[in-house]
Amino acid sequence: MVGDFAVGKTSLTQKFIKNVFSDRYVSTIGVKIDSVIVDDTKLVIWDVAGRDPLSPINTNYLVGASGIVFVGDGTRPSTVKALSALWETVAERIGEVPVVVALNKHDHEDWSVGSDQISNFSNLGWDVFTTSAKEGENVKSLFECLVRKMSQK
Amino acid sequence: MLTQVIKANKLTINTKAQNPGLLNQARIEEIFQCLFDSRYFAYFLVDRNWRIQDTSNNLHELGLQSLAVGVDATEEFDFLAGLDIKENYELAMITSPSGDPIRVIFIPKDSMIFVFIMDAKQEFIRQKSLQQKVNENQLLFETQAKLFAELETAKQLLESQNTQLQEAARLQSRLLSGVSHEFRTPLTSIIGYTNLLLSEDWSKINNDAENYLIGIKRSSKHLLSLIENLIDHGRFDSGGIVLNPKAVELAEIFDDVALLAKPLAITKNITFEVQLDLNETQSVIVDDSRLRQCLINIISNAIKFTDFGGVKITAGWRNDILRIGVADTGIGISEEHLKEIKKPFWQAPGTGKNGTGLGLTITERIIELMGGSLLIDSIEGKGTTVIFDVFAPPMVEFEGLEQQSFNDFDTPLNLLLVEDDSDIAFLVTAMLEDDGVDVTHLSNGALAVECLQHQEFDMVLMDLHMPILDGYGAIEKIRNSGDQTPIVIMTASAIESDRDRAEALGCDGYLVKPIDISDLYSLAQQLGLDAT
Repeated sequence: MVGDFAVGKTSLTQKFIKNVFSDRYVSTIGVKIDSVIVDDTKLVIWDVAGRDPLSPINTNYLVGASGIVFVGDGTRPSTVKALSALWETVAERIGEVPVVVALNKHDHEDWSVGSDQISNFSNLGWDVFTTSAKEGENVKSLFECLVRKMSQK
Repeated sequence: MLTQVIKANKLTINTKAQNPGLLNQARIEEIFQCLFDSRYFAYFLVDRNWRIQDTSNNLHELGLQSLAVGVDATEEFDFLAGLDIKENYELAMITSPSGDPIRVIFIPKDSMIFVFIMDAKQEFIRQKSLQQKVNENQLLFETQAKLFAELETAKQLLESQNTQLQEAARLQSRLLSGVSHEFRTPLTSIIGYTNLLLSEDWSKINNDAENYLIGIKRSSKHLLSLIENLIDHGRFDSGGIVLNPKAVELAEIFDDVALLAKPLAITKNITFEVQLDLNETQSVIVDDSRLRQCLINIISNAIKFTDFGGVKITAGWRNDILRIGVADTGIGISEEHLKEIKKPFWQAPGTGKNGTGLGLTITERIIELMGGSLLIDSIEGKGTTVIFDVFAPPMVEFEGLEQQSFNDFDTPLNLLLVEDDSDIAFLVTAMLEDDGVDVTHLSNGALAVECLQHQEFDMVLMDLHMPILDGYGAIEKIRNSGDQTPIVIMTASAIESDRDRAEALGCDGYLVKPIDISDLYSLAQQLGLDAT
């Protein structure tokens, strides 16, 4: 799970694994590791601390990853725009792996992701999902899609 | 075992690490120092297949499952999944399966990998406190920036609206000035002619009286068209314009318009010509009053802006479409002004000609409503040609449009006129009585309600705004009493909501002053009063 801080990486993970959600923001330190069985496949999810103004992504946490869930906050355009740069960092460290994109917080009124932005991601071969960790929108589809893509590789 | 490992390596493990996060010599020395200083650290040793070869007996103190020799460590520890350790490697802060924060260091050596686990609670707490504050502050900053951006957008919108309001105020001021000028011209004629008629000795002016009256009528019609333009502008905005197409003879319309426009052209010493390509009795279905309004607006402009030469009207009818052209040899319109000319309240600068700036705007909208379009072609200094089409299907089995009147009724119509303005009452009574109608006049709604309780009428012609009891109140009381005498409203209000209110209360017709007796006659026919 890779993206800027406070975009909802932990919320999406917890919603998928435990079907829980909290509005309270708690920053992730380092990496939080969880696992879940998806279609007879054990999926180990590394919920990596978000990139923030003080620190870049610690790419040590990416080593050994079979796929990436990029997460952007649909109400903060800068976090969505940042995903392209993050991809360069990721690809440089671990090479090209299957990617899915979660444009999260789709339940918020101040949603501001344009269709052109979604098209840009799709053109890179990424599967893009508008998600809401709060409502559960597309959360299951997001992870199932990634598992499918990793299995096909 | 650990001691042996450290001694065997003499803290000189060769690293090729270049990436940040991998271990260099100084980092290894620091880590080992931490290990020795820390009360909480553990380790296990695995082969290249991640099978346990050795382990400290305190893994559980750091939240890890104790493992027996020979067990596959990846089965127990998720953080090992997918790892392919070729170089020294560190996971600075991860959560153990029990949720405790730990630091994990991998040191490969020959066929083995040493995995050191350190307690990272203190570091976790330190980072957590700092990171949480930094991130929350950044979120606050982003929210503030967003609010400031929204504030700026709102400010710009307000500034834009303020500019529009200022422009609207300027246009309104200019409109008032234009309206004042436009109204004064026909009013000067009306008042002047009226004074002449009132002050002069009738025996002396008798021969001129007809000309005075024609002048008054012409100026009054011009005044009415100006007022209609102003009202229509507001009604277009509220979607209140409704066409009233009926069978008309086209030639009559052009005769009427020419009668009005020709004197204006003569006054300016320019020519005025009408050239029709119509069948002799070309009868079509069209809203004639709206068509007249459009023609008067366009022709008035043509005459106003032409000082030499003249104005020529052409009209032709083909396949349900009436095409009209108005060509003048006036001052023309520049390309720049052509783009602006149809905007409401726009007036040509520097021409010295006043107006409401609404005529062309209204005209184009009416023409569009009539299923047509308006084109303006102009060369500055040479003249302007306005061409427009309107949908005007032929009247099939047209029976002629000779003037009909209340005199045609089998028995004289018995009408109650309720009107507080004595001049209007006098005028309407005179017109109706001249047409063979028996008129009883009352000056307010209360008198009408009382009168209808003991006297019957064929029709009530009622004003809306009156003292004591207005038209709305009177209709309500009359209908509540069970009286179904047809009531036709005669009012100066052309507002759609007033009409709706009167109709909801139970009126049968609605005429806007100045009324045309033929319209009242048509209404009476529709109400079946000619059969009485």
